[in-house]
Parts: sequence; C-alpha cells; structure tokens
Amino acid sequence: MFSQLRIVIAEDAAIMRDGLTQTLTRRGHDVVAAVADADALRQAVDAHLPDVAIIDVRMPPTHTDEGLRAALSIHRDHPKVGVLVFSQYIETRSAAELFAGAPAGVGYLIKDRVADVSDFIEALSRVAQGGTVLDPEVVRHLLGASRRAEALATLTAREREVLSLMAQGRSNAAIAATLVISPGVVEKHVASIFAKLGLAPSDNDNRRVIAAIRYLES
Amino acid sequence: MAEMHVWPRRDLRLTDGVLAAALFAASAGQWHGPAATRLPLVAVSALLAATVLPRRRYPAAAFAAGTVIAAAQIAFGLQPGGAAPSAYALQPTTTDLVILVLLATLAAYGPRRISVAGLVVCLAGCVAAIMRWAPAHQPSPGPSLFAAALGLAGLTLAAWVLGDSVAYRYRRAYYASLEERAARLEAERNAQAQLAAAAERARELQERRARAVEDSAARLRRIERDLHDGAQVRLTALAMALGEIKENLGAAGGGADPTADDAARTRMLVAAAHQNAKDTLAELRDLARGIHPPVLDRGLGAALSMLSETSAIPVGLDVSIPERPSPAIEAIAYFCAAELLANVAKHGAASRATISVIEQDGRLLMNVTDDGGGGARLVPGGGLAGLLERVQTVDGSLRADSPPGGPTVIAIELPGHA
Repeated sequence: MFSQLRIVIAEDAAIMRDGLTQTLTRRGHDVVAAVADADALRQAVDAHLPDVAIIDVRMPPTHTDEGLRAALSIHRDHPKVGVLVFSQYIETRSAAELFAGAPAGVGYLIKDRVADVSDFIEALSRVAQGGTVLDPEVVRHLLGASRRAEALATLTAREREVLSLMAQGRSNAAIAATLVISPGVVEKHVASIFAKLGLAPSDNDNRRVIAAIRYLES
Repeated sequence: MAEMHVWPRRDLRLTDGVLAAALFAASAGQWHGPAATRLPLVAVSALLAATVLPRRRYPAAAFAAGTVIAAAQIAFGLQPGGAAPSAYALQPTTTDLVILVLLATLAAYGPRRISVAGLVVCLAGCVAAIMRWAPAHQPSPGPSLFAAALGLAGLTLAAWVLGDSVAYRYRRAYYASLEERAARLEAERNAQAQLAAAAERARELQERRARAVEDSAARLRRIERDLHDGAQVRLTALAMALGEIKENLGAAGGGADPTADDAARTRMLVAAAHQNAKDTLAELRDLARGIHPPVLDRGLGAALSMLSETSAIPVGLDVSIPERPSPAIEAIAYFCAAELLANVAKHGAASRATISVIEQDGRLLMNVTDDGGGGARLVPGGGLAGLLERVQTVDGSLRADSPPGGPTVIAIELPGHA
C-alpha cells in the first residue's frame, strides 16, 4: 500500500536538507521543493500544495520558532497539507500550540527520529494522510509531568504503554503491531483506559490523540 | 594648635562692669568741695568709667569717646578742687586710668595702625595735660616735669605694649587656626578626591563585569547555535545514513550465502554504529541545552513554561514581567529555577511547586515555592550556595525560607541588567 508522497522540506542546514531529500527520493517519494527559510517555505507550499511539509522549528532570521509559526499558518491556510514540525529539542509548549484546535495532519518530532528511516517515513505518511504524530519523548514528558498522576496510577503497565502509543498518534493496528498483541486486545485496553480516566470513547484516531493529550496536559 | 583661653562673653561683660564700677568708685575720695565743683567731676568720672563697657566690641569708638571726655576734662580743668589756679599741681582723677585701659583694649582688639594712632593721641594728651597744669607752672619745673612726663608716658606705653602683646597672642593663635583649617581642608579635599576615584573605579569595574557577564552569556548562546548548526546537523545526517544502511542490509540479509557470516557481522556493526550515533545525538542535545536552552531566546516566560512542563512534579507558573531582562539575567534566572525544580523533585516529598516572577523597581523577583518537607539550608558547597554564587555575580541575592515541615520558599532577586 505504498503511496508516493509529494513533499516540501524547509530546513536551513544544507546537510540535513540534502540528506533528507536524497533519502526520501531513494524511498520513491517526490521532494518538490527544499528551502531554507519560512518565506520560501510558504511560497513553495502555495505553489506546489504538497501532501506534507517537513519544517524545522529554528530557521533564519531569528532562529527561534519561525518554523512553528509557518507550520501554523500553513495548516490554517491549507488544511489538506500535512505539517511535520522538526525540533532539535523537546518543547512541549510548541507541541501544545501545534496541537491546539483541530490537529488533523499535524506532527511534532525530535530531529533524531530521522535516524530510524522507516519509522520516520511511516510517521510522515501518517501526517500526510491527515493523521497525528507526537514524539514519544514529548508523550513521556506529558505522562511524567501530568497533574493527573493519581488517575494514571490506576492504569496497568500495559495500559500505560498503550496510552503512550495512542498519544503518539498510532492507530490500533499500529499499536497492536508494536506491542505484538491482537487488535482486539488493543481495543480492550483502550476502552479500559478511557473508562479509568473518565474520557469519552472515540473511534476517530485523531480525536483520540487529542483527548489523550488534553488529558495529560490539563 | 595654639590653645587659647576664651572667656565666655557673659563673664567678659561682668568683668568690664566690675572694672567700670571700680574705676568710677576709685575717684570717690576726690569728689569734695562745693557741689558746682563736685558734680561735674562725678559726671566726668561716670562718663569715663562708662566707656569701659563697650570697649571690647567697639575698641576704637570707646577709645575715641574716652579721649574726647578726657580732653574735655583737661580743657575745662575739671579736677579735684575745681578749675585749677596755675600754681596747682596736676591732679587727674583716678578714673582717668580708664584711658590706659581703653588704649590697651585698642591695642589688643583693634588694628595695629589705629592702636599706634591711639598711642600717639595719648602721648599728645600727656603733653597737653602736663602743659595745662603743674608742674609746668611751678617756679623750677625741671625735675618735676621730667618725672611727670616719664610717669605718664611710661604708663601709656606700658598700657599699649600690654594690649599689643595680647593682640600678638591672638593673631598668632588666629594664624595657627587658619593654618590648621587650611590643612584640614586640604586633607578633606584629598579624601574626597580619593573617594571620587574609588567610586569611579567601582563604576568602571561594575561596567566591566556587566560586559563580561553579558559577553559570556552571548558566547554560550553562540556555542549552542554552533553546535546546533554544526555538530548536531552532521551527526543527524550521519545517523540517518547509518539508519538507511542498516535497513538496506536488513532487507538484503538472509539466505544460505557463503558470505552470510560476514554480512551478519556487518549488520551488527552498522546497527551498533547507528545506535551509537543516536545515543551521541541525545547526549549532544542535553549538552547543548545545558549550555544555553534555545527556548530562552523566546523569553524567560517561555523558557520557564517549558521547564515547568517537563518537570517531574506539577508546577504552577506565574510570570509577570513587562520588559525582558538582559539575556544574562534571563539565563541566570532560568538556571536557578531549573536547579531548584530539580532539587524539589530529587528530595521528593513535594507534590507541587510554584514559580512566580515579577518585576519591581527594575529588579526581577523570582520565588520558587514547594510544599515539601522543608529544611533547605544555605550551606557552603551546597546546591543553594552554588546558586547564590551565581546570583551574586550580578549583585543579586538569594534567601531561603524553609522551616522543618515546609513549605520551602526560595526568593531570588536579580537586577534587570547585569
């Protein structure tokens, strides 16, 4: 079920930009533009309307959060274009900003994730198809710093694993594959988690992710 | 310094009053004869004695008044026994001694040239007195004349010399005090100059320190940026390449190839290299963030917000600063908060922490509070002491209030600029 993605890359470091372009091209995807700053990114997205844009958070001129601002504006103007924001550091705040509203086709990953090429491309595809991707590290932080420690403590170890994967934006099938259990068992875990945390059950993966993140953040 | 005994003004007035009364009374024995002779004599004596009273304040005027009265006395021949027939010997009243007192006073308190003039007037008066009365009119005046002249002139000179010596002592003391005052002024000026120099130096050092602190903050920021743009990027690209190689090898693996062992070994090596690259990336990330958290570039509020989100315990955050402090100050505040939150998490017990940051009179006040067991102490070599040192590099302060049983409040105060 391989589908070729049309991709725009915005990354100010040439080595990364070229490396990503080559890797993605070798995997059969079409990198329609690779740019180095936010303005060029917006032009490229307007011109090409790609399936997904990979955006570095820090870009010229101030090297702070230009990428994040660009991602938010692209997501607002072109809801069909998936945005995968890339950050060198875990910034829960940036992630939260990105995931506010209706975060279909949004992803937030630490840059290191490109090292696991297949996983990275899988995440990219999910974002391109309107799914949600949240870096496992961010999820770990959310779980660790959550004010709902008491409710979370009632979860079993397996349920915590499932919640973590769910918050990362994985589908039931993906969770089942990762944990090597049957999809039916995953569904049972999910129902149990939602019941224990007092969340309204949802079949929609995205809404499920949002519910989980909101819960952890609140 | 020449010590000078100065009588209180009230005592001086009393002294002069007594002196005037004594001089007046001294001639009481000479008031005899008919009223017409006696009363003018009493009046002259009283007037003369009265000039003693203002002598210190107005030495020249008192002297002038005294001489005028004495001149009148001579002119009108007011003396014991009435206007003298030419054969009478000179008979000044005892009160005439007032003139000597006034001359001495003039010499003591007045300028010297005036006192010399006074001396001349007195000597002239002596001559006049002698000419006017006896013994110039005696049959053989020689020895008596000489004796009178010697006596009167001698007394007059003695009075003048006495007064002048007092003036000399006064002047010497006055010059000494002037010199002393000049020396004191000079010393004061020197001290003030030294103070000014020290203040200037302190200001200069303060500026230099501020520059050094800001420079070092900027340098750390640059190092982080360099790591981010350089080593981290290259390492990420390397890890990506290794990841691809690993996956390619994995896909091509398997089968009863005679080189299967080699391939397996290569796969293992590549997998290890891949893992190494990823671990190094993670370490490098922590290192870079420790040098300068990039989120600080977005302001202290954003940085503290991220800090509280990633904290192991729930953190309430309240940041209210209208203006951004300088980067070095933001960095110090951030690192203090990070260290304090890490401490809170490490020592357990606390279920919640709060960070509040406000600005007051251009200074940054940050309170980090937790509901743990308390007992945090500022001990040499301890974590809090380390923070205090860091805060003191910019003249900040740190106070710990942590009674047993909690809560703990660490209050940090920083200037708006280094």
